[in-house]
Amino acid sequence: MIRDPLGPFRKVGKWGYFARDIGIALGDVKTYSSETIRQMRNMGVDSLPLAAIVAAFIGAVTAFQTRYQLFGGVQLSVVGLISRQSIILELGPLLTGLVLTGRVGARMTAEIGTMRVTEQIDALETLAYDPIAYLVVPRMIAALVMLPVLTILADAVGVGTAMFTAVTATDVTAAAFAEGLRLSFTPFQIVYSVIKAFIFGGAIAFFCSYEGYTANVGAEGVGRSTAQAVVVTSVAILVLDALTALLLAPYLQA
Amino acid sequence: MKKRRDEVLVGIVVAAAIAVVVLGSLWLARGGLSKGYPLYVKFPWGAGLKQGQPVWLVGVSVGYVDEVDLHQDGILVTTLRIQNDYKVPVTSKAAVVPNGIFGDMAVAMTPSRPDPKSFNPGDTIPVGPSTPGIAQLTSKADSITTSVNAMTTALERELVAGGGIRDLRNTIAATNRMVNEFAAVASEQSRQLTATMTSLRRATAAIDPAKVDSTITNFRTASSNMAAMSADLKETSTRLDAILAKVDSGSGSAAKLLNDPGVYNDTRALLQQMESLLADIKKNPKRYINVTIF
Repeated sequence: MIRDPLGPFRKVGKWGYFARDIGIALGDVKTYSSETIRQMRNMGVDSLPLAAIVAAFIGAVTAFQTRYQLFGGVQLSVVGLISRQSIILELGPLLTGLVLTGRVGARMTAEIGTMRVTEQIDALETLAYDPIAYLVVPRMIAALVMLPVLTILADAVGVGTAMFTAVTATDVTAAAFAEGLRLSFTPFQIVYSVIKAFIFGGAIAFFCSYEGYTANVGAEGVGRSTAQAVVVTSVAILVLDALTALLLAPYLQA
Repeated sequence: MKKRRDEVLVGIVVAAAIAVVVLGSLWLARGGLSKGYPLYVKFPWGAGLKQGQPVWLVGVSVGYVDEVDLHQDGILVTTLRIQNDYKVPVTSKAAVVPNGIFGDMAVAMTPSRPDPKSFNPGDTIPVGPSTPGIAQLTSKADSITTSVNAMTTALERELVAGGGIRDLRNTIAATNRMVNEFAAVASEQSRQLTATMTSLRRATAAIDPAKVDSTITNFRTASSNMAAMSADLKETSTRLDAILAKVDSGSGSAAKLLNDPGVYNDTRALLQQMESLLADIKKNPKRYINVTIF
Protein backbone atom coordinates (compact mmCIF):
# COMPACT_ATOMS: atom_id res chain seq x y z
CA MET A 1 0.00 0.00 0.00
CA ILE A 2 1.55 3.26 -1.13
CA ARG A 3 1.30 5.87 1.58
CA ASP A 4 0.76 8.79 -0.77
CA PRO A 5 0.11 7.71 -4.35
CA LEU A 6 -0.04 11.29 -5.54
CA GLY A 7 3.20 12.22 -3.76
CA PRO A 8 5.44 12.14 -6.86
CA PHE A 9 3.04 14.36 -8.77
CA ARG A 10 2.88 16.75 -5.83
CA LYS A 11 6.66 16.84 -5.80
CA VAL A 12 6.80 17.62 -9.52
CA GLY A 13 4.23 20.36 -8.97
CA LYS A 14 6.38 21.89 -6.22
CA TRP A 15 9.39 21.78 -8.53
CA GLY A 16 7.28 23.64 -11.08
CA TYR A 17 6.39 26.34 -8.58
CA PHE A 18 10.04 26.59 -7.53
CA ALA A 19 11.10 26.98 -11.17
CA ARG A 20 8.49 29.65 -11.63
CA ASP A 21 9.80 31.53 -8.56
CA ILE A 22 13.35 31.33 -9.96
CA GLY A 23 12.10 32.72 -13.26
CA ILE A 24 10.43 35.62 -11.44
CA ALA A 25 13.52 36.20 -9.30
CA LEU A 26 15.70 36.53 -12.41
CA GLY A 27 14.26 39.98 -12.84
CA ASP A 28 15.73 41.08 -9.51
CA VAL A 29 19.25 41.55 -10.86
CA LYS A 30 20.40 43.88 -8.10
CA THR A 31 19.78 41.26 -5.46
CA TYR A 32 21.67 38.37 -7.03
CA SER A 33 24.39 40.06 -9.07
CA SER A 34 26.71 40.68 -6.15
CA GLU A 35 26.39 37.13 -4.87
CA THR A 36 26.82 35.44 -8.24
CA ILE A 37 30.57 36.00 -8.58
CA ARG A 38 31.16 34.59 -5.11
CA GLN A 39 29.17 31.49 -5.97
CA MET A 40 31.03 31.11 -9.28
CA ARG A 41 34.28 31.22 -7.39
CA ASN A 42 33.05 28.65 -4.85
CA MET A 43 31.59 26.31 -7.44
CA GLY A 44 33.98 26.76 -10.32
CA VAL A 45 37.40 27.88 -9.20
CA ASP A 46 37.46 25.94 -5.95
CA SER A 47 36.18 22.78 -7.64
CA LEU A 48 38.74 22.92 -10.41
CA PRO A 49 41.42 20.76 -8.69
CA LEU A 50 38.88 18.05 -7.85
CA ALA A 51 37.40 18.02 -11.34
CA ALA A 52 40.87 17.96 -12.89
CA ILE A 53 42.04 15.07 -10.70
CA VAL A 54 38.92 13.03 -11.51
CA ALA A 55 39.27 13.76 -15.22
CA ALA A 56 42.98 12.92 -15.20
CA PHE A 57 42.41 9.48 -13.71
CA ILE A 58 39.41 8.80 -15.94
CA GLY A 59 41.44 9.76 -19.01
CA ALA A 60 44.36 7.57 -18.01
CA VAL A 61 42.15 4.57 -17.26
CA THR A 62 40.14 5.00 -20.44
CA ALA A 63 43.24 5.06 -22.65
CA PHE A 64 44.90 2.18 -20.83
CA GLN A 65 41.85 -0.07 -20.87
CA THR A 66 41.02 0.78 -24.45
CA ARG A 67 44.50 -0.20 -25.59
CA TYR A 68 44.35 -3.60 -23.93
CA GLN A 69 40.86 -4.38 -25.19
CA LEU A 70 41.97 -4.10 -28.80
CA PHE A 71 42.71 -7.35 -30.53
CA GLY A 72 45.48 -7.84 -33.06
CA GLY A 73 45.13 -6.10 -36.38
CA VAL A 74 43.26 -3.07 -35.09
CA GLN A 75 45.10 0.17 -35.78
CA LEU A 76 46.27 1.80 -32.56
CA SER A 77 44.80 5.17 -33.50
CA VAL A 78 41.50 3.68 -32.33
CA VAL A 79 42.76 4.32 -28.78
CA GLY A 80 42.76 8.05 -29.46
CA LEU A 81 39.36 7.96 -31.10
CA ILE A 82 37.69 5.98 -28.32
CA SER A 83 39.38 8.03 -25.59
CA ARG A 84 38.25 11.30 -27.16
CA GLN A 85 34.69 10.14 -27.71
CA SER A 86 34.39 8.59 -24.24
CA ILE A 87 35.83 11.57 -22.39
CA ILE A 88 34.31 14.46 -24.34
CA LEU A 89 30.90 12.99 -25.00
CA GLU A 90 30.24 11.08 -21.80
CA LEU A 91 32.74 10.82 -18.99
CA GLY A 92 33.83 14.47 -18.86
CA PRO A 93 30.42 16.06 -18.35
CA LEU A 94 28.88 13.16 -16.43
CA LEU A 95 31.64 12.66 -13.87
CA THR A 96 32.17 16.38 -13.43
CA GLY A 97 28.44 16.70 -12.78
CA LEU A 98 28.37 13.82 -10.31
CA VAL A 99 31.49 15.01 -8.49
CA LEU A 100 30.12 18.52 -8.22
CA THR A 101 26.83 17.13 -6.94
CA GLY A 102 28.75 15.80 -3.97
CA ARG A 103 31.04 18.72 -3.46
CA VAL A 104 28.90 21.73 -4.44
CA GLY A 105 25.33 20.43 -4.41
CA ALA A 106 25.48 18.98 -0.92
CA ARG A 107 27.06 22.15 0.36
CA MET A 108 24.39 24.22 -1.37
CA THR A 109 21.58 22.21 0.24
CA ALA A 110 23.22 22.37 3.64
CA GLU A 111 23.74 26.13 3.43
CA ILE A 112 20.22 26.98 2.28
CA GLY A 113 18.70 24.32 4.56
CA THR A 114 20.51 25.72 7.58
CA MET A 115 19.29 29.18 6.69
CA ARG A 116 15.81 27.75 6.42
CA VAL A 117 15.86 26.01 9.83
CA THR A 118 17.50 28.98 11.51
CA GLU A 119 14.80 31.22 10.01
CA GLN A 120 17.31 33.39 8.16
CA ILE A 121 15.20 32.99 5.02
CA ASP A 122 12.20 34.29 6.93
CA ALA A 123 14.34 37.20 8.05
CA LEU A 124 15.26 37.98 4.44
CA GLU A 125 11.60 38.02 3.52
CA THR A 126 10.97 40.35 6.44
CA LEU A 127 13.63 42.68 5.08
CA ALA A 128 11.80 42.68 1.70
CA TYR A 129 14.57 40.59 0.07
CA ASP A 130 13.48 37.87 -2.31
CA PRO A 131 15.26 34.86 -0.76
CA ILE A 132 15.18 32.96 -4.05
CA ALA A 133 16.81 35.87 -5.87
CA TYR A 134 19.45 36.13 -3.15
CA LEU A 135 20.10 32.44 -2.45
CA VAL A 136 19.01 30.32 -5.42
CA VAL A 137 19.48 32.45 -8.53
CA PRO A 138 23.21 33.18 -7.95
CA ARG A 139 23.84 29.50 -7.40
CA MET A 140 21.80 28.63 -10.45
CA ILE A 141 23.71 31.09 -12.67
CA ALA A 142 27.04 30.04 -11.18
CA ALA A 143 26.28 26.38 -11.83
CA LEU A 144 25.00 27.01 -15.35
CA VAL A 145 28.16 28.94 -16.23
CA MET A 146 30.82 27.16 -14.24
CA LEU A 147 29.88 23.54 -14.88
CA PRO A 148 30.44 23.89 -18.66
CA VAL A 149 33.70 25.72 -17.87
CA LEU A 150 34.82 22.95 -15.54
CA THR A 151 33.70 20.30 -18.01
CA ILE A 152 35.73 21.84 -20.84
CA LEU A 153 38.81 21.94 -18.65
CA ALA A 154 38.11 18.42 -17.41
CA ASP A 155 37.75 17.23 -21.03
CA ALA A 156 41.09 18.79 -21.90
CA VAL A 157 42.81 17.30 -18.85
CA GLY A 158 41.20 13.91 -19.52
CA VAL A 159 42.25 13.79 -23.17
CA GLY A 160 45.71 15.05 -22.25
CA THR A 161 46.27 12.38 -19.61
CA ALA A 162 44.79 9.76 -21.93
CA MET A 163 47.37 10.70 -24.54
CA PHE A 164 50.16 10.83 -21.97
CA THR A 165 49.21 7.42 -20.58
CA ALA A 166 48.80 5.82 -24.01
CA VAL A 167 52.16 7.11 -25.21
CA THR A 168 54.16 6.41 -22.05
CA ALA A 169 52.55 3.22 -20.73
CA THR A 170 51.52 1.43 -23.93
CA ASP A 171 52.84 0.93 -27.45
CA VAL A 172 50.61 3.65 -28.91
CA THR A 173 52.62 6.43 -30.50
CA ALA A 174 51.78 10.10 -30.11
CA ALA A 175 51.19 10.36 -33.87
CA ALA A 176 48.78 7.42 -33.87
CA PHE A 177 46.90 8.77 -30.85
CA ALA A 178 46.66 12.24 -32.42
CA GLU A 179 45.44 10.67 -35.66
CA GLY A 180 42.65 8.94 -33.73
CA LEU A 181 41.84 12.15 -31.86
CA ARG A 182 41.30 13.94 -35.15
CA LEU A 183 39.36 11.17 -36.83
CA SER A 184 35.74 12.17 -37.45
CA PHE A 185 36.01 15.13 -35.11
CA THR A 186 33.34 17.79 -35.41
CA PRO A 187 33.13 20.92 -33.22
CA PHE A 188 29.60 19.85 -32.33
CA GLN A 189 31.10 17.14 -30.15
CA ILE A 190 32.45 19.85 -27.85
CA VAL A 191 29.15 21.72 -28.05
CA TYR A 192 27.42 18.48 -27.08
CA SER A 193 29.66 18.18 -24.03
CA VAL A 194 28.95 21.80 -23.09
CA ILE A 195 25.19 21.31 -23.54
CA LYS A 196 25.29 18.32 -21.22
CA ALA A 197 27.32 20.22 -18.64
CA PHE A 198 24.93 23.15 -18.85
CA ILE A 199 21.96 20.84 -18.23
CA PHE A 200 23.75 19.06 -15.36
CA GLY A 201 24.71 22.40 -13.80
CA GLY A 202 21.09 23.52 -13.91
CA ALA A 203 20.00 20.20 -12.37
CA ILE A 204 22.54 20.47 -9.53
CA ALA A 205 21.57 24.04 -8.66
CA PHE A 206 17.86 23.45 -9.04
CA PHE A 207 17.43 20.22 -7.06
CA CYS A 208 19.98 21.02 -4.38
CA SER A 209 18.57 24.52 -3.85
CA TYR A 210 15.06 23.13 -3.76
CA GLU A 211 15.93 20.49 -1.18
CA GLY A 212 17.67 23.11 0.98
CA TYR A 213 14.90 25.62 0.53
CA THR A 214 12.27 23.09 1.61
CA ALA A 215 14.32 21.53 4.43
CA ASN A 216 12.44 20.49 7.50
CA VAL A 217 13.05 21.96 10.91
CA GLY A 218 16.13 20.79 12.82
CA ALA A 219 19.57 19.53 12.05
CA GLU A 220 18.13 16.16 11.14
CA GLY A 221 15.96 17.83 8.53
CA VAL A 222 19.00 19.50 6.98
CA GLY A 223 20.89 16.22 6.92
CA ARG A 224 17.97 14.40 5.36
CA SER A 225 17.53 17.15 2.78
CA THR A 226 21.22 17.04 1.92
CA ALA A 227 21.19 13.29 1.40
CA GLN A 228 17.96 13.58 -0.56
CA ALA A 229 19.47 16.34 -2.71
CA VAL A 230 22.52 14.25 -3.62
CA VAL A 231 20.40 11.24 -4.51
CA VAL A 232 17.80 13.16 -6.51
CA THR A 233 20.43 15.21 -8.34
CA SER A 234 22.55 12.15 -9.19
CA VAL A 235 19.54 10.30 -10.56
CA ALA A 236 18.38 13.42 -12.40
CA ILE A 237 21.81 13.83 -13.98
CA LEU A 238 21.78 10.24 -15.22
CA VAL A 239 18.25 10.59 -16.59
CA LEU A 240 19.08 13.90 -18.26
CA ASP A 241 22.27 12.33 -19.66
CA ALA A 242 20.21 9.62 -21.31
CA LEU A 243 17.67 12.11 -22.62
CA THR A 244 20.39 14.35 -24.03
CA ALA A 245 22.01 11.41 -25.77
CA LEU A 246 18.64 10.36 -27.14
CA LEU A 247 17.97 13.79 -28.56
CA LEU A 248 21.40 14.95 -29.69
CA ALA A 249 23.53 11.87 -30.38
CA PRO A 250 22.25 11.52 -33.98
CA TYR A 251 23.85 14.90 -34.75
CA LEU A 252 27.25 13.74 -33.53
CA GLN A 253 28.18 11.73 -36.59
CA ALA A 254 30.78 13.40 -38.74
CA MET B 1 38.98 43.33 -2.17
CA LYS B 2 37.91 39.71 -1.83
CA LYS B 3 35.15 40.28 -4.33
CA ARG B 4 37.62 41.67 -6.84
CA ARG B 5 39.90 38.67 -6.37
CA ASP B 6 36.94 36.34 -6.94
CA GLU B 7 36.12 38.15 -10.15
CA VAL B 8 39.70 37.80 -11.40
CA LEU B 9 39.86 34.10 -10.55
CA VAL B 10 36.51 33.36 -12.18
CA GLY B 11 37.56 35.39 -15.20
CA ILE B 12 40.82 33.47 -15.52
CA VAL B 13 39.07 30.09 -15.33
CA VAL B 14 36.37 31.06 -17.83
CA ALA B 15 38.97 32.51 -20.21
CA ALA B 16 41.05 29.37 -19.89
CA ALA B 17 38.01 27.26 -20.75
CA ILE B 18 37.24 29.39 -23.80
CA ALA B 19 40.88 29.18 -24.93
CA VAL B 20 40.83 25.40 -24.49
CA VAL B 21 37.65 25.13 -26.55
CA VAL B 22 38.96 27.30 -29.37
CA LEU B 23 42.50 25.92 -29.52
CA GLY B 24 41.40 22.34 -28.88
CA SER B 25 38.81 22.49 -31.66
CA LEU B 26 41.34 24.01 -34.03
CA TRP B 27 43.92 21.38 -33.18
CA LEU B 28 41.49 18.52 -33.52
CA ALA B 29 39.74 19.78 -36.62
CA ARG B 30 42.63 21.34 -38.52
CA GLY B 31 45.76 19.91 -36.95
CA GLY B 32 46.70 23.15 -35.24
CA LEU B 33 46.95 26.81 -36.10
CA SER B 34 49.09 26.00 -39.14
CA LYS B 35 46.48 24.96 -41.61
CA GLY B 36 48.64 23.37 -44.31
CA TYR B 37 47.74 23.61 -47.98
CA PRO B 38 44.79 22.06 -49.81
CA LEU B 39 44.85 19.48 -52.57
CA TYR B 40 41.72 18.12 -54.19
CA VAL B 41 40.75 14.64 -55.34
CA LYS B 42 37.58 13.68 -57.17
CA PHE B 43 36.58 10.24 -55.94
CA PRO B 44 33.47 8.41 -57.10
CA TRP B 45 30.52 8.06 -54.72
CA GLY B 46 30.76 5.42 -52.03
CA ALA B 47 34.44 5.90 -51.28
CA GLY B 48 33.75 5.74 -47.52
CA LEU B 49 35.55 9.00 -46.77
CA LYS B 50 34.91 11.40 -43.94
CA GLN B 51 36.56 14.37 -42.33
CA GLY B 52 39.64 13.63 -40.24
CA GLN B 53 40.76 10.47 -42.01
CA PRO B 54 44.53 10.31 -42.57
CA VAL B 55 46.26 11.08 -45.85
CA TRP B 56 49.38 9.05 -46.61
CA LEU B 57 52.17 9.75 -49.05
CA VAL B 58 53.94 6.42 -49.72
CA GLY B 59 52.77 5.27 -46.30
CA VAL B 60 53.78 8.39 -44.36
CA SER B 61 51.00 10.40 -42.74
CA VAL B 62 51.23 13.85 -44.32
CA GLY B 63 47.78 15.29 -43.65
CA TYR B 64 44.11 14.54 -43.27
CA VAL B 65 40.80 14.71 -45.10
CA ASP B 66 39.51 18.21 -44.47
CA GLU B 67 36.22 18.14 -46.30
CA VAL B 68 34.13 15.78 -48.37
CA ASP B 69 31.75 17.57 -50.70
CA LEU B 70 29.02 15.51 -52.31
CA HIS B 71 28.26 16.44 -55.92
CA GLN B 72 25.17 15.23 -57.74
CA ASP B 73 27.17 14.03 -60.74
CA GLY B 74 28.47 11.02 -58.80
CA ILE B 75 31.65 12.64 -57.55
CA LEU B 76 32.95 13.36 -54.06
CA VAL B 77 35.19 16.41 -54.21
CA THR B 78 37.56 15.68 -51.34
CA THR B 79 39.75 18.37 -49.86
CA LEU B 80 43.02 17.02 -48.49
CA ARG B 81 44.88 19.22 -46.04
CA ILE B 82 48.61 18.55 -46.49
CA GLN B 83 51.19 19.72 -43.98
CA ASN B 84 53.43 22.48 -45.35
CA ASP B 85 56.54 20.33 -44.75
CA TYR B 86 55.50 17.78 -47.39
CA LYS B 87 55.37 18.13 -51.17
CA VAL B 88 53.41 15.67 -53.27
CA PRO B 89 55.21 14.64 -56.51
CA VAL B 90 53.23 15.33 -59.69
CA THR B 91 53.42 11.67 -60.67
CA SER B 92 51.27 10.77 -57.65
CA LYS B 93 47.83 9.24 -57.81
CA ALA B 94 45.39 9.16 -54.91
CA ALA B 95 43.39 6.11 -53.89
CA VAL B 96 41.05 5.23 -51.06
CA VAL B 97 42.54 2.37 -49.09
CA PRO B 98 41.27 0.48 -46.03
CA ASN B 99 42.73 1.56 -42.71
CA GLY B 100 42.53 -1.27 -40.18
CA ILE B 101 39.84 -3.91 -40.00
CA PHE B 102 36.90 -1.82 -38.88
CA GLY B 103 36.13 -0.53 -42.35
CA ASP B 104 37.84 2.79 -41.79
CA MET B 105 39.44 4.40 -44.82
CA ALA B 106 42.45 6.55 -45.61
CA VAL B 107 43.64 8.36 -48.72
CA ALA B 108 46.93 6.96 -50.02
CA MET B 109 48.95 8.96 -52.54
CA THR B 110 51.50 6.94 -54.46
CA PRO B 111 53.90 8.47 -57.00
CA SER B 112 54.73 6.24 -59.97
CA ARG B 113 58.34 7.50 -59.78
CA PRO B 114 60.25 10.16 -57.82
CA ASP B 115 59.83 13.59 -59.35
CA PRO B 116 61.24 16.92 -58.12
CA LYS B 117 58.13 18.69 -59.42
CA SER B 118 55.24 18.68 -56.98
CA PHE B 119 51.57 19.62 -56.95
CA ASN B 120 50.83 23.24 -56.13
CA PRO B 121 48.29 24.15 -53.45
CA GLY B 122 44.80 23.84 -54.90
CA ASP B 123 45.73 21.29 -57.58
CA THR B 124 43.63 18.22 -58.20
CA ILE B 125 45.37 14.86 -57.89
CA PRO B 126 44.33 12.14 -60.35
CA VAL B 127 42.60 9.10 -58.90
CA GLY B 128 44.40 5.76 -58.95
CA PRO B 129 42.99 2.27 -58.54
CA SER B 130 41.57 1.62 -55.09
CA THR B 131 42.07 -1.53 -53.07
CA PRO B 132 39.01 -3.36 -51.75
CA GLY B 133 38.06 -2.57 -48.19
CA ILE B 134 36.09 -4.50 -45.62
CA ALA B 135 32.83 -3.32 -47.18
CA GLN B 136 33.77 -4.63 -50.61
CA LEU B 137 35.07 -7.88 -49.12
CA THR B 138 31.86 -8.24 -47.14
CA SER B 139 29.87 -7.58 -50.27
CA LYS B 140 31.92 -10.21 -52.12
CA ALA B 141 31.40 -12.67 -49.27
CA ASP B 142 27.70 -11.88 -49.43
CA SER B 143 27.54 -12.66 -53.14
CA ILE B 144 29.49 -15.88 -52.53
CA THR B 145 27.01 -16.81 -49.81
CA THR B 146 24.16 -16.14 -52.21
CA SER B 147 25.78 -18.37 -54.81
CA VAL B 148 26.35 -21.12 -52.24
CA ASN B 149 22.73 -20.79 -51.17
CA ALA B 150 21.59 -21.12 -54.78
CA MET B 151 23.80 -24.19 -55.20
CA THR B 152 22.47 -25.69 -51.98
CA THR B 153 18.90 -25.07 -53.10
CA ALA B 154 19.59 -26.61 -56.51
CA LEU B 155 21.27 -29.61 -54.91
CA GLU B 156 18.38 -30.03 -52.51
CA ARG B 157 15.94 -29.85 -55.40
CA GLU B 158 17.88 -32.37 -57.44
CA LEU B 159 18.80 -34.73 -54.63
CA VAL B 160 15.68 -34.64 -52.51
CA ALA B 161 12.81 -33.50 -54.70
CA GLY B 162 14.19 -34.98 -57.93
CA GLY B 163 14.95 -38.37 -56.37
CA GLY B 164 18.71 -38.01 -56.69
CA ILE B 165 19.34 -39.50 -53.27
CA ARG B 166 17.14 -42.49 -54.13
CA ASP B 167 19.11 -43.01 -57.35
CA LEU B 168 22.32 -42.65 -55.41
CA ARG B 169 21.19 -45.30 -52.96
CA ASN B 170 20.25 -47.62 -55.84
CA THR B 171 23.66 -47.03 -57.39
CA ILE B 172 25.35 -47.81 -54.10
CA ALA B 173 23.29 -51.00 -53.75
CA ALA B 174 24.20 -52.04 -57.30
CA THR B 175 27.83 -51.30 -56.59
CA ASN B 176 27.61 -53.42 -53.46
CA ARG B 177 26.20 -56.29 -55.46
CA MET B 178 28.94 -55.95 -58.06
CA VAL B 179 31.57 -55.90 -55.34
CA ASN B 180 30.08 -59.08 -53.87
CA GLU B 181 30.22 -60.75 -57.29
CA PHE B 182 33.80 -59.68 -57.71
CA ALA B 183 34.53 -61.12 -54.29
CA ALA B 184 32.97 -64.46 -55.31
CA VAL B 185 35.00 -64.52 -58.54
CA ALA B 186 38.15 -63.70 -56.64
CA SER B 187 37.38 -66.47 -54.16
CA GLU B 188 36.92 -69.02 -56.99
CA GLN B 189 40.16 -67.86 -58.64
CA SER B 190 41.93 -68.17 -55.35
CA ARG B 191 40.64 -71.68 -54.91
CA GLN B 192 41.77 -72.70 -58.42
CA LEU B 193 45.15 -71.11 -57.89
CA THR B 194 45.54 -73.09 -54.72
CA ALA B 195 44.74 -76.31 -56.63
CA THR B 196 47.25 -75.42 -59.36
CA MET B 197 49.91 -74.77 -56.80
CA THR B 198 49.16 -78.11 -55.18
CA SER B 199 49.53 -79.89 -58.56
CA LEU B 200 52.74 -78.08 -59.25
CA ARG B 201 54.12 -79.09 -55.89
CA ARG B 202 53.11 -82.63 -56.56
CA ALA B 203 54.86 -82.62 -60.01
CA THR B 204 57.93 -81.06 -58.50
CA ALA B 205 58.03 -83.75 -55.86
CA ALA B 206 57.84 -86.45 -58.61
CA ILE B 207 61.14 -85.41 -60.23
CA ASP B 208 64.04 -87.86 -59.37
CA PRO B 209 67.00 -85.88 -58.12
CA ALA B 210 69.48 -88.65 -59.17
CA LYS B 211 68.35 -88.38 -62.78
CA VAL B 212 68.59 -84.66 -62.65
CA ASP B 213 72.13 -84.98 -61.25
CA SER B 214 73.19 -87.41 -64.02
CA THR B 215 71.67 -85.15 -66.66
CA ILE B 216 73.55 -82.21 -65.26
CA THR B 217 76.77 -84.26 -65.21
CA ASN B 218 76.20 -85.18 -68.87
CA PHE B 219 75.60 -81.55 -69.66
CA ARG B 220 78.87 -80.68 -67.95
CA THR B 221 80.78 -83.39 -69.90
CA ALA B 222 79.25 -82.22 -73.18
CA SER B 223 80.09 -78.69 -72.29
CA SER B 224 83.73 -79.58 -71.58
CA ASN B 225 83.91 -81.55 -74.88
CA MET B 226 82.51 -78.56 -76.67
CA ALA B 227 85.15 -76.40 -74.98
CA ALA B 228 87.91 -78.78 -76.15
CA MET B 229 86.49 -78.85 -79.67
CA SER B 230 86.35 -75.11 -79.64
CA ALA B 231 90.01 -75.00 -78.59
CA ASP B 232 90.95 -77.38 -81.49
CA LEU B 233 88.99 -75.28 -83.94
CA LYS B 234 90.72 -72.20 -82.63
CA GLU B 235 94.12 -73.87 -83.13
CA THR B 236 93.18 -75.01 -86.65
CA SER B 237 92.03 -71.56 -87.46
CA THR B 238 95.33 -70.18 -86.22
CA ARG B 239 97.24 -72.57 -88.46
CA LEU B 240 95.12 -71.66 -91.45
CA ASP B 241 95.77 -68.02 -90.69
CA ALA B 242 99.50 -68.74 -90.68
CA ILE B 243 99.27 -70.60 -94.04
CA LEU B 244 97.27 -67.81 -95.59
CA ALA B 245 99.73 -65.27 -94.24
CA LYS B 246 102.51 -67.28 -95.78
CA VAL B 247 100.65 -67.45 -99.09
CA ASP B 248 100.06 -63.70 -98.95
CA SER B 249 103.70 -63.02 -98.23
CA GLY B 250 104.71 -64.72 -101.49
CA SER B 251 107.17 -67.25 -100.11
CA GLY B 252 106.77 -70.93 -100.85
CA SER B 253 105.48 -72.83 -103.89
CA ALA B 254 101.80 -72.26 -103.31
CA ALA B 255 102.38 -68.57 -102.77
CA LYS B 256 104.43 -68.29 -105.92
CA LEU B 257 101.77 -70.27 -107.76
CA LEU B 258 99.10 -67.88 -106.57
CA ASN B 259 101.02 -64.64 -106.64
CA ASP B 260 103.35 -64.99 -109.67
CA PRO B 261 101.72 -63.38 -112.79
CA GLY B 262 104.15 -65.35 -114.97
CA VAL B 263 102.35 -68.57 -114.13
CA TYR B 264 99.13 -66.96 -115.16
CA ASN B 265 100.59 -65.75 -118.41
CA ASP B 266 102.12 -69.13 -119.17
CA THR B 267 98.85 -70.83 -118.38
CA ARG B 268 97.05 -68.38 -120.65
CA ALA B 269 99.46 -68.94 -123.47
CA LEU B 270 99.10 -72.68 -122.97
CA LEU B 271 95.37 -72.43 -123.16
CA GLN B 272 95.54 -70.36 -126.33
CA GLN B 273 97.84 -72.91 -127.90
CA MET B 274 95.50 -75.69 -126.85
CA GLU B 275 92.57 -73.79 -128.37
CA SER B 276 94.43 -73.33 -131.65
CA LEU B 277 95.46 -77.02 -131.55
CA LEU B 278 91.90 -78.12 -130.97
CA ALA B 279 90.71 -75.88 -133.81
CA ASP B 280 93.32 -77.39 -136.05
CA ILE B 281 92.32 -80.92 -134.95
CA LYS B 282 88.70 -80.12 -135.75
CA LYS B 283 89.71 -78.70 -139.05
CA ASN B 284 92.20 -81.38 -140.05
CA PRO B 285 91.44 -84.36 -137.93
CA LYS B 286 93.23 -86.69 -140.31
CA ARG B 287 96.40 -84.92 -139.61
CA TYR B 288 96.37 -86.04 -136.07
CA ILE B 289 94.05 -88.99 -136.01
CA ASN B 290 94.67 -91.57 -138.47
CA VAL B 291 92.47 -94.53 -137.81
CA THR B 292 92.96 -97.38 -140.06
CA ILE B 293 90.75 -100.31 -139.89
CA PHE B 294 92.07 -103.07 -141.81
